[in-house]
Amino acid sequence: MNKAFEKIALIEGMIAAAFVSDEGKLVGWCANSVISPDNLCFIAETCRVILSANRAEQRLAHTGVVAFGERTLVFREGASGIFVAYLDSPTNDAVLEWLFSQVNPRLAAEGIQLE
Amino acid sequence: MLHQALILSSHREYAQTMRLGLLELGHDQTRVDVEVDALRAMQLAPQQYELILLDTVLDAMDGLQLLQLLKNQSPASKFIIVSDSSDETSRAMAYQSGADFFLERPRTPEALALALEAIKGFFKPGRPDEPQQEEEENPVVNLADIVQMRCLSGDSVLLLVRSGQQSGDIFIFRGEVFHAQYPGKGGEAAFRDMIGWDGGRVRIRSIKLTHVPPRTIEVPYRQLLDKVEHAGTQGPDISQTGGELFVVSTETPSNTASLSVVQEAPPLDQAAPPVFPAPNLSQQGETPLPQVNSHWKVNLTGELIEGSQVAEPDRCAFITTFIYRKMADVAVALEVDYFNHMTLLGPHLQQVLVADNLGVRHAVFDTVWTTEEQRIQYVKWCCEQSF
Repeated sequence: MNKAFEKIALIEGMIAAAFVSDEGKLVGWCANSVISPDNLCFIAETCRVILSANRAEQRLAHTGVVAFGERTLVFREGASGIFVAYLDSPTNDAVLEWLFSQVNPRLAAEGIQLE
Repeated sequence: MLHQALILSSHREYAQTMRLGLLELGHDQTRVDVEVDALRAMQLAPQQYELILLDTVLDAMDGLQLLQLLKNQSPASKFIIVSDSSDETSRAMAYQSGADFFLERPRTPEALALALEAIKGFFKPGRPDEPQQEEEENPVVNLADIVQMRCLSGDSVLLLVRSGQQSGDIFIFRGEVFHAQYPGKGGEAAFRDMIGWDGGRVRIRSIKLTHVPPRTIEVPYRQLLDKVEHAGTQGPDISQTGGELFVVSTETPSNTASLSVVQEAPPLDQAAPPVFPAPNLSQQGETPLPQVNSHWKVNLTGELIEGSQVAEPDRCAFITTFIYRKMADVAVALEVDYFNHMTLLGPHLQQVLVADNLGVRHAVFDTVWTTEEQRIQYVKWCCEQSF
């Protein structure tokens, strides 16, 4: 998994990324800043709780995009856990598609399906 | 006036210094006990102490666990957690465990004096002895003093300020002024004005904040108060009159807060319209509201204040507030300001949340026909409404 995240870390604009399993285990992570793995795990869990709460409200969602000024937090829930990425840029649908076109194959190589 | 206190610490030198300081806060009969052994401290009856200072790390056990035990036995006592580090996590954990005050261990005489000053605030005459109450009186002479005391204590409170015909809110989070607002103005400018209202004679209520408020004021509170003082907005009348605080005991805090929020929204008249405009009609801004399934707005206290096609208002307000608070936690973890907008994408529905200084707007779209442009249009519409 470290190999996958080593490559994910090289994606343009990537500040940090992580995949947290359904059991809450930090399966893999990378950070080009001082964001700690604990914080990444906490963020992923919080995002998962948000998606879960929406599911309970019959508003099923699998992906979230949160703009913090010029930075963006993206999260997507897959079959076995949740992936989070913190980017140093705003995003739109095209950026999102581009991001996952790079992330998905790397995670898939480790047996993780996000779609 | 302090009558009996306990210092629980394995740092003997600090404990003795603090003991002497606390004795000075009391009277001739004041007793301050020092205990270095946590297990022995558990044999004491905490009810006898008005004040208990305990370290986060004790030799035999975790200070926060001990705090919870003692707090259960003696909820009326004031508990101060003393830590060697002052990071946000330690502070948050202390307050979550029931501490009334978080104190970084004073290492200089100046720091000790400041700490004692803050502790003294707990025992001012006339203060109700209700440590669990979130709404409490603040018998302080003027607004600047209240802000200073709250910041010094590392509190997270919403101060509802009223003066004559004016009212406004000041949000203090973990000892820093995050936001101030009154109808027609927000941020630092609003804070400056409010400090000068009626020469410091204000009515005030405080409500404990349970979530991170949006931040519009970045200046540290000391600098902020200095700036206000030097700008002369705190006129000579304040010190001459001594200022006075009146407690509005009959007002409902949440109503007051929501009233302020409603009044501040620029497009609204005094009699606020209960619903949004119809889709595709421009209200105040130039951007028309896109077609949505439903949308609503909650204020900073979690109340639904506007909405359109909202089937279950309570649940809608709840989920928005829930997301808002959760994302506030994420913002803290990322060390960034509060989120601007958020999109949740699902197979059937898309949701957009837009946060401003007054609350969060939340819209639900049908995925089938919703385009990115429509979501962007909604964000733009929300921003125009906020201004």
